[in-house]
Amino acid sequence: MIRLKEVSLRLGNAGRSSSVLFHLPSFEVEAGEAVALTGPSGCGKSTLLNLIAGLRRADQGQVEVAGSDLEKLNSAQLDRHRGMHCGMVFQTFHLLAPFTALENVVIGLRFGARTRSKLKEKATEVLDRVGLGDRIHARPHRLSVGERQRVAIARALVGDASILLADEPTGSLDPETGQEVFHLLREVAEEDRRTLILVTHDPALASKMPRHFDCSGLVRSASTAARKENSPR
Amino acid sequence: MSFLSMAWRYLRFRWLVSLLTISGVAVGVALVCAVLALRHESERALSRDAGLYDLVAGGKGSPLQLVLSSVYHIDSPTGNLPYADFERFQRDPRILWSAPVGLGDNYAGYRIVGTETQFFDLPDRQAKPFFQFAQGRRFEERFEVVLGSQVAQSTRLEIGDTFFGTHGLVEVPGAEVHRDFPYRVCGILAPTGTAQDRAIFGTLASVWEIHETEDRLHYAIQGSALLEGRQERETTAILIRLKTPGLRLWMADEIRKGTDGIATVPINEILRFQRGIIGPAQKALLTVASAVVGVACLTVLITLHQAAERRRRDIAILRSLGANRREVAVLVFTEGLLLTGAGILLGLLLGHGGLALGAGTFRETTGLLLYPWRMPTLELAALGAIGICGAIASLFPAISCYRRTPIDDLHLTE
Repeated sequence: MIRLKEVSLRLGNAGRSSSVLFHLPSFEVEAGEAVALTGPSGCGKSTLLNLIAGLRRADQGQVEVAGSDLEKLNSAQLDRHRGMHCGMVFQTFHLLAPFTALENVVIGLRFGARTRSKLKEKATEVLDRVGLGDRIHARPHRLSVGERQRVAIARALVGDASILLADEPTGSLDPETGQEVFHLLREVAEEDRRTLILVTHDPALASKMPRHFDCSGLVRSASTAARKENSPR
Repeated sequence: MSFLSMAWRYLRFRWLVSLLTISGVAVGVALVCAVLALRHESERALSRDAGLYDLVAGGKGSPLQLVLSSVYHIDSPTGNLPYADFERFQRDPRILWSAPVGLGDNYAGYRIVGTETQFFDLPDRQAKPFFQFAQGRRFEERFEVVLGSQVAQSTRLEIGDTFFGTHGLVEVPGAEVHRDFPYRVCGILAPTGTAQDRAIFGTLASVWEIHETEDRLHYAIQGSALLEGRQERETTAILIRLKTPGLRLWMADEIRKGTDGIATVPINEILRFQRGIIGPAQKALLTVASAVVGVACLTVLITLHQAAERRRRDIAILRSLGANRREVAVLVFTEGLLLTGAGILLGLLLGHGGLALGAGTFRETTGLLLYPWRMPTLELAALGAIGICGAIASLFPAISCYRRTPIDDLHLTE
């Protein structure tokens, strides 16, 4: 269960005229639900994703993820919480270049897993599941972009995180590979009853998700927000 | 996957930069190790030689020159003392052991030392015989000689072999060879690790005979009749061990007053020599080596800082995977420790390996025996200090990584 209530956050340089205010009155996602976050660039989709992951802290409001109020966790607890409950997939894959596909997935377990036994076996199993059983010893530069994203998905899955957070996971892929990766994400989320929150610009992709959340209007310039707050009701 | 193996993989990934950084640390460490080990070993070796004798008596001149010529066989003698002085010392109840040293000739650059057979009775400081024979026996007759171990090794002379001495203390082309007086090898000493390994020991009578014959010829050619007046026999120096070493200074003073020569305490001269001449040179070398180490530590800092800057994205990825601030800082710190540790190990190997390679030449030129793999306490302390410097240098980028917020760097591309 994910619940955000009256969350606000100042973005950019605080106190400068260029700073913007992110404000989200309410957002809830049930366990096992699949939600697409849509909206124009800069509307706050990724910010919402990062708030859920605990990569950003809200200035105000409540962010509750997997039974924990993130605002009450200290930095180390927040990192551990993220590692245990959130599997992240990024547009540019974010694999670690010195390590093989298998090691990239093992590193996902190193910091996020609940237990640290049989890491390699588990990582191999997950890579096999995403169709990379024969590429486990390849380093990222030896993999195609589609394969790289599959490794990233395997890394997000391997720690048994209950929430998958995908930030434009198909943004760097050709349409065909993008479709494959999208279906893979949907499939593993459904099979494992994991929550999937997917940021996308692609309306066709978003239409395939059971629920949409339009993020338009979440971000305003700080001065506009201040005028609105001070105006007589 | 442990921090150590992750750190190792990152270092391997940028192997050239890592190798250059490790080499920088290694060169500094090798210099420090070599200078400190060389200092320790040379001090130990010099003191071992000088510590064998309580006093050295010889002709008037520089006490250091007297010690260097009679104990280390590396300088010209100061002058002579009457042989009668040696006979007088032998009767002195305060003297445990004494031996004359008569110099004048060399063979293949190794000095031929004329002495008496009791020379080989010299006890070490534990009262055990200092000289051991590897082969053969002491000289008994004139022109029989005993070779120091290095002389035997270098000249390949064996028991029963004969050779001719050359006039002078060092090998000079065209120097007069005493072809009428062949020496015969009767014994070879076991290595002592002292300058005695580089000497050839024969009877003092042989030295006198060669030079008196030459003198006789010289005066005969000149038509002089001075020979009769030169009958008093002399010795270049006299080495002395006292029953009570505490009497050294008092005895030295007594010898100075009672003879035409001087007497000195060799260990005091050598310590003065080390502090006055060798010490400042070693300090200068150590300063240079310390500067190299300082630069190397700075290189570790710069390398790690640049690596951390280049890896801002990777650090952010690790944070997104659940690594906390402390863990990423430990990872970067571990990389620094690995670089420093590898540099120290390589430096140790280079420093001591270099000494091991040069030990033979050092022994040939100075006669001092080096134990190149021995590590003096000061060297261990220096290595500890270098390790700490490396750790401090690693701390800065680690702290920088600790402070970063992952969200700032996740947008970065490879």
